Amino acid sequence: MADLQKLHDAILNGDAKASAALAQEALGHNVPPIELVQHAMVPAMDEVGRRFECQDYFVPELLLSARAMKAALELLRPLLAASGAQPAGTVVIGTVQGDLHDIGKNLVAALLEGGGFEVIDLGADVAPEKFVETVRGTRANIVCLSALLTVTMLSMRTTIEGLKAAGLRDRVKVLVGGAPVTRQFAEEIGADGYGENASVAVSLARTLTTAATIG
Amino acid sequence: MRELAEAIARSPHTIDVEFLSKGLHDLGGAHMREALQARVDDADPARHDAVLLGYALCGNGLHGLEARRVPLVAPRAHDCIALLMGSRQRYAAYFNAHAGVYFRSTGWLERGRDIEQLTRAAGTDFTLADLIAKYGDDNGRYLYDEFTRYQTQYQQLTFIETGLEVDDRFEQQARAEATEKHWAFDKICGDLTLFRRLVGGEWDPADFLVVAPGGRIVASYDDDIIKAEPLG
Repeated sequence: MADLQKLHDAILNGDAKASAALAQEALGHNVPPIELVQHAMVPAMDEVGRRFECQDYFVPELLLSARAMKAALELLRPLLAASGAQPAGTVVIGTVQGDLHDIGKNLVAALLEGGGFEVIDLGADVAPEKFVETVRGTRANIVCLSALLTVTMLSMRTTIEGLKAAGLRDRVKVLVGGAPVTRQFAEEIGADGYGENASVAVSLARTLTTAATIG
Repeated sequence: MRELAEAIARSPHTIDVEFLSKGLHDLGGAHMREALQARVDDADPARHDAVLLGYALCGNGLHGLEARRVPLVAPRAHDCIALLMGSRQRYAAYFNAHAGVYFRSTGWLERGRDIEQLTRAAGTDFTLADLIAKYGDDNGRYLYDEFTRYQTQYQQLTFIETGLEVDDRFEQQARAEATEKHWAFDKICGDLTLFRRLVGGEWDPADFLVVAPGGRIVASYDDDIIKAEPLG
């Protein structure tokens, strides 16, 4: 268990090199990859989210922890896939059309990956058609839309309408966020969830996918 | 500042003017609204018929702003740049045709220092050296790349010429900045009509929102951009 605690702490402290080395070492000792994920990495990222909520951590710490988590995850991913482990869900994420700001979106993508989701990151300035096409071509069950400008956030509505028109709206839960986005706006455009900050995204995605499975 | 001052000088009305820090909206919508509300509340109904806001919705900085004792008047625009272009339709057409443009104008460049101070207060202004000092070499460089990557996707700098320029020093500054960053440079003709109509009392509902006391400005999430909502 000592190794798991060290891996947990390396992620919490944003030490990507240590995180990768410890994951490698644990694999060398035949610790099952899923155990590393469930008992070290996910709890570490949950703790990072908690510290962010308490304002002990800020955006830089979040980015560094996410980076450290990804460094370990890169090593585990092929092994997890080979063992048939299923992700918590599949997320298609992007900053909407006309908007090039990607810090918040990258953060959410990294936190979702750390939370056990498979993440398909379409980047910034993503057209509604691109979201639709990607959802159609994958097993995605969550779509995350980000915007930093009031002028571009209206493209979130167009994207949701595009999903409806393509008959894909019922297959996915749509989460929206970004500085100018409000809960009221999210409700008005028919999104399923709104996150005031990046750390909310993981719990929201978990709740929505669990609800979807039960429903 | 020059842009609004010119419009005020030509207005048939008596106008008390107050210029606020330029980088207010970098502090986030809620902080900008709080700062504006405090100033708006200082208006005296015995002396002022209306408070004129030289702002666009600006990252929701106007969202929730309340007219308590004096009516508020705001132009319908997402971005202050639309005020320099003369209409939000012209701004939208330019924005849609050019994703990734930074705008500069005489007023912007002349008052550039102020904005730096505010972004520092907001914690978004840092150098690579600052980040390395705080987070170490590897993590510091990583954070710097993450925080500045979106800027590398910006490809153009557009200078808006308003006709108020005394000489070409600010245009030259803008050109030099574009060259230094390897961006394309464009110069377009500004149009100060919206400023003139704002301070002239010509508040066509198509372009301006007037909120009577007892109401607040909220984002409308449609082509009108902003609308009034009763307080309470």
